Amino acid sequence: MIFMQTKAIFVDAYRELNAKKLFWLTLGLNLLVVVLFASLGLNAKGVTFWHWTFDNPFFNSQFFSKELFYKLQFTSWGVPIWLSWATAILALISTAGIIPDMVSGGTIEPMLSKPIGRIRLFLTKYLTGLLFVGLQILVFTVGCLFVFGIRAGSWEFGIFLAIPIVLAFFSYLFAFCVLVGLVTRSTIAALLLTILFWGAIFVANTGDSIMVAQREGAIVQLEDRQKDVEVQERFAQKRIEQYIEQGKPIPGQDGEPLSGSATDSMSALNPTLTTSRNRLADAEQAVVTWTLWSKRVFALKTVLPKTQETIALLGRRLISNEEMEKLMENRGDDNYSEDSGQPSFADPRVPPRVEAVMRSRSMTWILGTSFAFEFLLLGIAIIIFVRRDF
Amino acid sequence: METVIDVKGVEKMYGRRVHALRGVDLQVGAGEIFGLLGPNGAGKSTLVKVLLTVIKPTKCTGTLLGNKIGDKSTLAQVGYLPEHHNFPKYLTSQQLLRHFGAMSGIDRKARNKRCDELLEIVGMDEWATHKLGSYSKGMRQRVGLAQALMNDPKLVVLDEPTDGVDPIGRKEIREVLLRLKDEGRTVFLNSHLLSELEMVCDRVAIMVHGLVRQQGTIDELTADQSGFVIKTTNEMSNDVISAAQRAAPGIDCVIADGASELIFKTSDVDSVQSALDSLRSHNQTIKSFGFHRPSLEHLFIKAVQEHPGGARPGAQSSKKKKGAHS
Repeated sequence: MIFMQTKAIFVDAYRELNAKKLFWLTLGLNLLVVVLFASLGLNAKGVTFWHWTFDNPFFNSQFFSKELFYKLQFTSWGVPIWLSWATAILALISTAGIIPDMVSGGTIEPMLSKPIGRIRLFLTKYLTGLLFVGLQILVFTVGCLFVFGIRAGSWEFGIFLAIPIVLAFFSYLFAFCVLVGLVTRSTIAALLLTILFWGAIFVANTGDSIMVAQREGAIVQLEDRQKDVEVQERFAQKRIEQYIEQGKPIPGQDGEPLSGSATDSMSALNPTLTTSRNRLADAEQAVVTWTLWSKRVFALKTVLPKTQETIALLGRRLISNEEMEKLMENRGDDNYSEDSGQPSFADPRVPPRVEAVMRSRSMTWILGTSFAFEFLLLGIAIIIFVRRDF
Repeated sequence: METVIDVKGVEKMYGRRVHALRGVDLQVGAGEIFGLLGPNGAGKSTLVKVLLTVIKPTKCTGTLLGNKIGDKSTLAQVGYLPEHHNFPKYLTSQQLLRHFGAMSGIDRKARNKRCDELLEIVGMDEWATHKLGSYSKGMRQRVGLAQALMNDPKLVVLDEPTDGVDPIGRKEIREVLLRLKDEGRTVFLNSHLLSELEMVCDRVAIMVHGLVRQQGTIDELTADQSGFVIKTTNEMSNDVISAAQRAAPGIDCVIADGASELIFKTSDVDSVQSALDSLRSHNQTIKSFGFHRPSLEHLFIKAVQEHPGGARPGAQSSKKKKGAHS
């Protein structure tokens, strides 16, 4: 009977989605995006779109294999922008009403009067929401598989990982959506508050990225300044040794012999050393400050679902660290100069370090804490649903 | 009597102030049509929802089809039509019935067969593939009734089943109810339409302010108010009335209609013959003679009037309280 009831709820959910034109609209849009994806190509000069070629010194077949090019498109906008934003928003609009509609007067009574437990009823309904996204991603991914196979000559079955990954991402938001929908019984409230919640996660993610970039920029700057001070100290030390070998007194800045410490002697022989040491101290302080802030934001993020990192897991799987390093080498601003007043995180060496930090975050932390958050919300929702009188 | 519903002391409180059910005792026998009456806010729907696990009771002991109240598996044998149902408008009646059939655990083949049969019984077979969104209220009610019967239930609980249905539809629904009774099913009706209940119910209960005030067959409930009514063309004098009363000793007699009507509270027609003779001997012309039984409406109004609103703590606030049901 369990299977029969579950199937009945899923079939009903399909009919409900089918009745909502948005389901087919989203599916159509997904196919359109696949067509656009297939329309992109790569040749020796740059990127092609249908019969047009857009010259690009970086994106061309001399730097990239076609396979990597399509992987990049898939992981840089196909999943993070299309599936994780556009499709997710359409999916939220379509599914936000599932729980409020279910608990509305006149609908819930016949359901509860059937031989099905409330927990199972609620969780099955929750899963029907995920079914919407699952179907959309499946269509998109199958389309993209053909694009990979036909256009790049590589049947990249790894892209099917997009299905569980995007589903996991959507499930974090959907858990929040069903909780709000259950409490407020309002589709609009569920949708708006979920989008707000999503916005808050986005802010936390952005804050985290900024903090990590600032910290890594500060560390790069610190390393540079440490080297600079070391070079200057070695130079001054060499001169001191020369004076000692020659038996001459070490002259101060005013030309008089020095009688102070070795540090003073170095500073006297190299006047910019003091400035460099001060800058080194500033860099050390900056590292301490940004490390503290990045830890605080990281702690905040730990309790929130990791939407961005979850989606990035696909990139980690599809694009190896070596390929990513190669990509990073080709990026960045070659004209960067600290003296020109540009911030430390604009240093071209920072993005690869940030990427490395992001990639170093464990899957356990990303998925474990996110699912813990999701299960907490679902647990609260289930308690409310089980205890509520309708 | 084999009982299908047997509950005692059912209580439901919303918060601390609203006492929707105050200790309901109710017994419904197998194979009977049972009517639950009561004014708005009496707690009828709340009681039904408690029986069907839609509402959690504050206190409840008893059984439904022999199992403890709250046992989900029992509900496979219960059909339910809620009062203000709102079935998905994107479904056709065929899809709706098959969906609820599956939810009750009926296999596909039996589901399809039963669906076709029921749609024919409720007169909706020609609309089987039309979406509910295009139905009138009466049509949705018929489909709702079919939905309640989809799982071939032993007990059918119908909350205002004729709501929005035209007179012909009501008659057809009554026929369905009687057919269910003939098939040995128990029907639990919750309705305001007293005349309809009177036509089909074997037993009724009158609920006022969260308590069952009266329960039994209509005959049992009206026994103390039934009797033979003798109407005369003129008003009777006190001597004439006294003589008539003396002629039927031991039978309560009520004077009505300005002393031109006497009601003898008995169901024994022989015992009032001497009273008739007495009246004739006093030159009274008998205009009419017959047995009178008060209507269900009369009983209902009397029960409500005997228990005014102040009797139930929080009765007025219950109207405002979200979640309190009629």
